[in-house]
Amino acid sequence: MHGFSPKQQLDLITSLELESQALSSSDRRQFLKNAMLMLGAGTTLISPSVGLANSVSNQPSSNLPPNIPEWSKKLGTGVLTEPYGKPSSFEKNVVRDTVDWLTQDRISSVSMTPLHKLKGIITPNGLVFERHHAGVPIINPDQHRLIIHGLVENPLVFSLEELQRFPSVSEIKFLECPANGGMEWKAPQMSGLQFTHGMLSCCEWTGVKLSTLLAEVGVKPEAKWVLAEGADGAAMTRSIPLDKAIDDTIIVYAQNGEALRPEQGYPIRLLNPGWEGNTSIKWLRRLKLGKQPWQHREETSKYTDLLPDGKARQFSFVQECNSVITSPCPENPFQKKGWYEIEGLAWSGKGKIKGVDISIDGGINWRPVALKGLVLSKCLTRFGFMFHWQGEPLLLQSRAYDETGYVQPTFKQLREVRGGNSIYHKNAIHTWQVHQDGSVQNVQLT
Amino acid sequence: MYNSLKWLMPVLVVSLSACSETGDSTLKNNNKESKSTAKNLDDSTTLFEIGTEATKELINGWDIDIAIDGSGLPEGSGSVAEGEQLYDNLCAACHGTFGEGEEQWPKLTGGENSLTDQRPLKTIGSYWPYSTTLWDYINRAMPFPAPQSLEVNQVYAITAYVLNMNDIVSDEFILTNQNLASIKMPNAQGFYLDDRPDTSNQRCMKDCKPPESIVVKSGPTYVSTTQGSPSHSELSKTFSSNGQTIYLSGCNLCHDNGLMQAPKIATPSDWVERQQASKDTIYQNAINGLGNMPAKGGRNDLSNNSIKQAVDYMLETLE
Repeated sequence: MHGFSPKQQLDLITSLELESQALSSSDRRQFLKNAMLMLGAGTTLISPSVGLANSVSNQPSSNLPPNIPEWSKKLGTGVLTEPYGKPSSFEKNVVRDTVDWLTQDRISSVSMTPLHKLKGIITPNGLVFERHHAGVPIINPDQHRLIIHGLVENPLVFSLEELQRFPSVSEIKFLECPANGGMEWKAPQMSGLQFTHGMLSCCEWTGVKLSTLLAEVGVKPEAKWVLAEGADGAAMTRSIPLDKAIDDTIIVYAQNGEALRPEQGYPIRLLNPGWEGNTSIKWLRRLKLGKQPWQHREETSKYTDLLPDGKARQFSFVQECNSVITSPCPENPFQKKGWYEIEGLAWSGKGKIKGVDISIDGGINWRPVALKGLVLSKCLTRFGFMFHWQGEPLLLQSRAYDETGYVQPTFKQLREVRGGNSIYHKNAIHTWQVHQDGSVQNVQLT
Repeated sequence: MYNSLKWLMPVLVVSLSACSETGDSTLKNNNKESKSTAKNLDDSTTLFEIGTEATKELINGWDIDIAIDGSGLPEGSGSVAEGEQLYDNLCAACHGTFGEGEEQWPKLTGGENSLTDQRPLKTIGSYWPYSTTLWDYINRAMPFPAPQSLEVNQVYAITAYVLNMNDIVSDEFILTNQNLASIKMPNAQGFYLDDRPDTSNQRCMKDCKPPESIVVKSGPTYVSTTQGSPSHSELSKTFSSNGQTIYLSGCNLCHDNGLMQAPKIATPSDWVERQQASKDTIYQNAINGLGNMPAKGGRNDLSNNSIKQAVDYMLETLE
């Protein structure tokens, strides 16, 4: 290489290697070749001593035992290479995704969480599903305020810094768009778990209880509802019953230990645990207390459940008990015969998950399975059991029930009362069909 | 409800033990001897006195919501005729000349008596229960690319026209803050409060149904992708370095279809006049706003340079 010292050559090649790690082996080979040519080096000059030969000759298995892998024979990158760390480049496909035909544009749209790739119950902040009605505003927290007024004794305005001086709470709660799975009411339309159930996430949310702030402003006796309003271009509003606001509503400023992400409402959002995600107003700027609901667009035209008699159910806040198997699923097929952990998630907006039953024969026979790890109220709960797959076809289902005794319904039961046009609150028992080759397909049983 | 708040106060107090008996009145902390301190705490105000007074002036700037009795409506009026002109300029590109909705943009009209159909059409005329909702929504969120940009009387006029398109008010109607709340919507009686649970599944464990009753209805076959969503990775990779990507992140809302009289991309006739000006003038107009277009099309987060790149892309489409 012309004009480069051996040390510089090594540095360059090392950084090229790092950058090319995420490419497929053929892409990587081409990338490195091109890079070398650009640097003025013939490919013949590449020295095996710097560890490139193996990757260029496309023998990834040479890192496997008994060989000593290339990364064991050199130094890695130093601290602060990534001041804010990112997942391994090998995980680059673990991302939110959307279904483009669902919405006209991506500004008022939705993206889904890759549930099939997640472990435990916490959704990493960068993978929490998004639903915006006018895009993500960029808000300077110093120039943002929360006003609480209406039927109160002392209307107050709070800065973020002031909100953070109140006693804080941290609660692990799921957040679900009530339209989660709404595309499946009439038939199985989606190809994978990310699209059938991915408008669902779960974080540890930190903030101040709304009841704390309501005590501060002093609620007048005639107040029964709270209007919450966002500072985004949709100025999103929802009417929340005062009972809920006093019970467990939180003004959230942090998720999973760090400040809220912009797409989750930075600097502050409302969180109504267990209720339809739309009520948890993001970019919250105003709370107004009043006597009756405001009947705004998002609680009349939208987020109401049209039933077969032509009437619509309104203020259907609670996300009822639901569950889904996350592995196997279309994205996580069985690769070969043998033992697997069949696992999934269950949740209820009314409290704790009491138990989950599994069927492998399409709901003819059921067996209870173990709940794993934390079992918290209005929180994702993981379940799993070991299964020895011998190549037989399966119709896999999970059926959750919560501490109120409510049992997740079948599609048939749900359709009998709600028809096919209610869009929201689809919590039916879901079926994955496992084929003999191990592939998994989204199906419905009629 | 008020009672529950009052009930809540002692709970808050005990849990925080804002206690002067600890000898440190500035500490609000968990106290092991909560019993002995509870009485004392009941007497205390327990307010943290954080936050500042929200004056009328502060509140008025943000207090935009309209209630179903019309409270909150500012004084003003607008006619159906005025509304028609505004609608054609500001709304029709998305919602259609007759409210029929372009592409997937919301349909505003039609759907009468369709709510029990296989494919119901939920519009303002067929579904919305309150007229006040319409004024509130237009005022807070429309037009989509420039929310909270309309004058009060413009909101009255557009609301009047949309109601007229739905045959709810006459051609001569003038909508005011006095008469809006009294307008009855066709589907006013179409809603009732949540009455779930509406299913009662049981935990049957064995032989719950005959095997032959199972009919499998298959969804699409999953196709594994080795890349993330291409548009996703493209966006994050090339954002603000590529005119087309910037254009697709917002400019397209108006310039794809001429919304709000925006000149359309790939349509040279829309640009004849503009192209007589210097390129720098076009840049400056895009950055500072012009006519119905707000500064940077409302995307204040984009740098001037990004806006210029988007302009460059749009001009390229004319060649």
